[in-house]
Amino acid sequence: MSTTLLFQSLVLGVLLGGLYALLAAGLTLYFGVMRVVMIAHSAFLVLAAYLAWFFTTQTGIDPLVSLVITVPLFFVLGIGMQRLLITRLRPESLTMMSVLLTFAVALFIEGMIGLTWSGTQRRIQLGYSGSSLEFFGAQIAVVKLIAFALAAVSLVLLYVLLKKTQFGKALRATIQHKEAAQLIGINTDRVAGLGFGLGLATAAIGGTALSLDATIYPSLHWAWIGPLMAIIVVGGLGSIPGAAIAAMVLGISQSLLQVPLGTTWAQTIFYVALFATLMVRPQGFFGGRLAQRF
Amino acid sequence: MPSASSTAPDGPGVDSTLEPGAVRTAPTPLPPPGGRRSLAVRIARVVALAVGAALVLAFPALAPNAYVLSSGVIILSYAVLATSWNFVGGFTGYISLGHAAYFGLGAYGTGLLITKAGVPSFVAIGLSALIVLLIAVPIGIASLRVRGASFVIVSIAFVLILQLVFQALGSITGGSLGLTVPRPFPGLLRPEHHRVFFYLFATLLVFVLLTWWLIDRSRFGTRLKAVREDEDKAESLGVPTRNYKLVAFVVSATSTALAGGLYALWFGDLDPIFQFSILLGAYIVLMALLGGVRNVFGPVVGALVVGVGLEFFKVNFGNTQFHLVAVAMLLGIVVLFMPDGVIPAAVALVRRFGPQAASIRELSAAELAERERGVRAAAAARARPADHGASAADGDRDRPHEDPRTTGDQEER
Repeated sequence: MSTTLLFQSLVLGVLLGGLYALLAAGLTLYFGVMRVVMIAHSAFLVLAAYLAWFFTTQTGIDPLVSLVITVPLFFVLGIGMQRLLITRLRPESLTMMSVLLTFAVALFIEGMIGLTWSGTQRRIQLGYSGSSLEFFGAQIAVVKLIAFALAAVSLVLLYVLLKKTQFGKALRATIQHKEAAQLIGINTDRVAGLGFGLGLATAAIGGTALSLDATIYPSLHWAWIGPLMAIIVVGGLGSIPGAAIAAMVLGISQSLLQVPLGTTWAQTIFYVALFATLMVRPQGFFGGRLAQRF
Repeated sequence: MPSASSTAPDGPGVDSTLEPGAVRTAPTPLPPPGGRRSLAVRIARVVALAVGAALVLAFPALAPNAYVLSSGVIILSYAVLATSWNFVGGFTGYISLGHAAYFGLGAYGTGLLITKAGVPSFVAIGLSALIVLLIAVPIGIASLRVRGASFVIVSIAFVLILQLVFQALGSITGGSLGLTVPRPFPGLLRPEHHRVFFYLFATLLVFVLLTWWLIDRSRFGTRLKAVREDEDKAESLGVPTRNYKLVAFVVSATSTALAGGLYALWFGDLDPIFQFSILLGAYIVLMALLGGVRNVFGPVVGALVVGVGLEFFKVNFGNTQFHLVAVAMLLGIVVLFMPDGVIPAAVALVRRFGPQAASIRELSAAELAERERGVRAAAAARARPADHGASAADGDRDRPHEDPRTTGDQEER
């Protein structure tokens, strides 16, 4: 393998890892605030990509502008979903039943996308779709850079929100110990709703980024949910930094393995990592007390 | 970690695990006088069972055409899959969305053993089930080390990984082109073929149901249910939870593989997309939950409802994605409004109009304590009036409930 090729896949891996990190952070938020495994996360991702595609084909405006609509929309959808669906489940079986409920939501979204826009593969054609930048000998597509920039900015914003604001403190307290958070006066139900909204907002951003350089079709979300699930388990359920680090490491590994093994086998790295983690360290590499029980 | 056999099975701790179960059954506070009702229920059950069995046996003769007959075979195979799933989902409460993995492995194992190794058809089913058993052990160990969420994630991941692998290994498995499995009875015409496999699936179903029923009544089953109700408590009371869960998981995977093998022989054409389908896994869960995971026949009822529904959508809506939306709505409704299934929901509905009796479905510790208090008060109240002629009979009726081998689920079905 030549150095250029190696470097190129490394850069692509970092770009891909950024997107994984953002999406996995969203999944971790749901799990943290509600102990919910959100299978529908990637379905919302694909929905956002479809909305971006629809927006662009209808108006001719750049798909990035659709973020103005999709991010608030998904935020509200997330709050609504937590309020109307998740809280209705019995607390004793919440984790298991939430998997089924969000699975149903994922199927519903997939079916509705198929009914509305048919199962045809779609792709946004942009003026800068084909252009790429040269970066120390590596050819990097501009759309991938934009996608990464979107993911990176959102992750930084999320980090600042969680670390520096009062709401972020309340959210982290809810993740760490719900009852203790309630004792010090945090309205954990409200925080959980907002956490859900934030999680879905990451799906909106990720979906728009995805729509820039991927061919989309209704059942695409299955290809995303497996790797994302693997990432949050490897990182440790409930740990956002863990999810981000695992996303980067696995994204880069996938990209590097693609060269000798091809796309299909490279994808299995996520599942290999998942099983290895469960065998060696079931609570994940960055998970604390919380992850141990799940 | 002590093995299942080395821990004393008769430890007092284990029996006391079950007291909540016993208490849960006790509150049929004022049973109708005499044993008439329970006898009537028992007769009704036997009659229903006989009618059901007769209907299944007569179905191939009644089916107007080969299509209906083949739908019958599909529904029976769903029933086997849902019941197999119920070994793990019903007893331990661990929900696996990835049982299609074992179905696909059983089917592909059978197909490959026949085509590549020249093994006789029905021997191949057994062999591939054995292989799946061996695969299920490490998978079970890995995924059962952690509770709930990770288990589901692993179950989904395993299906996705197998789908990838079986597509990638095109040279062996035929990849997306599919694998053609030779028929075991080449001389048979198509309707005859369906008929033979209808009875084969029915036999497998009886076998799986019988196993489930036996586990349900056994001490082993009671301990598995203790895991479902409260894993920490069960473990602290001496149930070797990991090994028990593992056994249930392996039994479940193996019988799913048997169904997969039979399916391969019947259908004759395998494709990774359809065998390792996460959607099939979802159908299985939906069937079991819809029918009710705590009843032997729950998954069968669910399979009937969902199977007929799926065929209906296939016929009427063909290629559109509408069946996904319908399945999604149904799954959502079941999870939100009747997570115990239609049988318990219907029974609860009937009970509301009948003599007062409390539902014994999933209770929190708080509710349980409250109920226990209520039962004691009722018992005290019952003991006082002298005119209560049935009190001796009541005492007799209550005793069997304390038997550790029985839990509320069966008694109150």
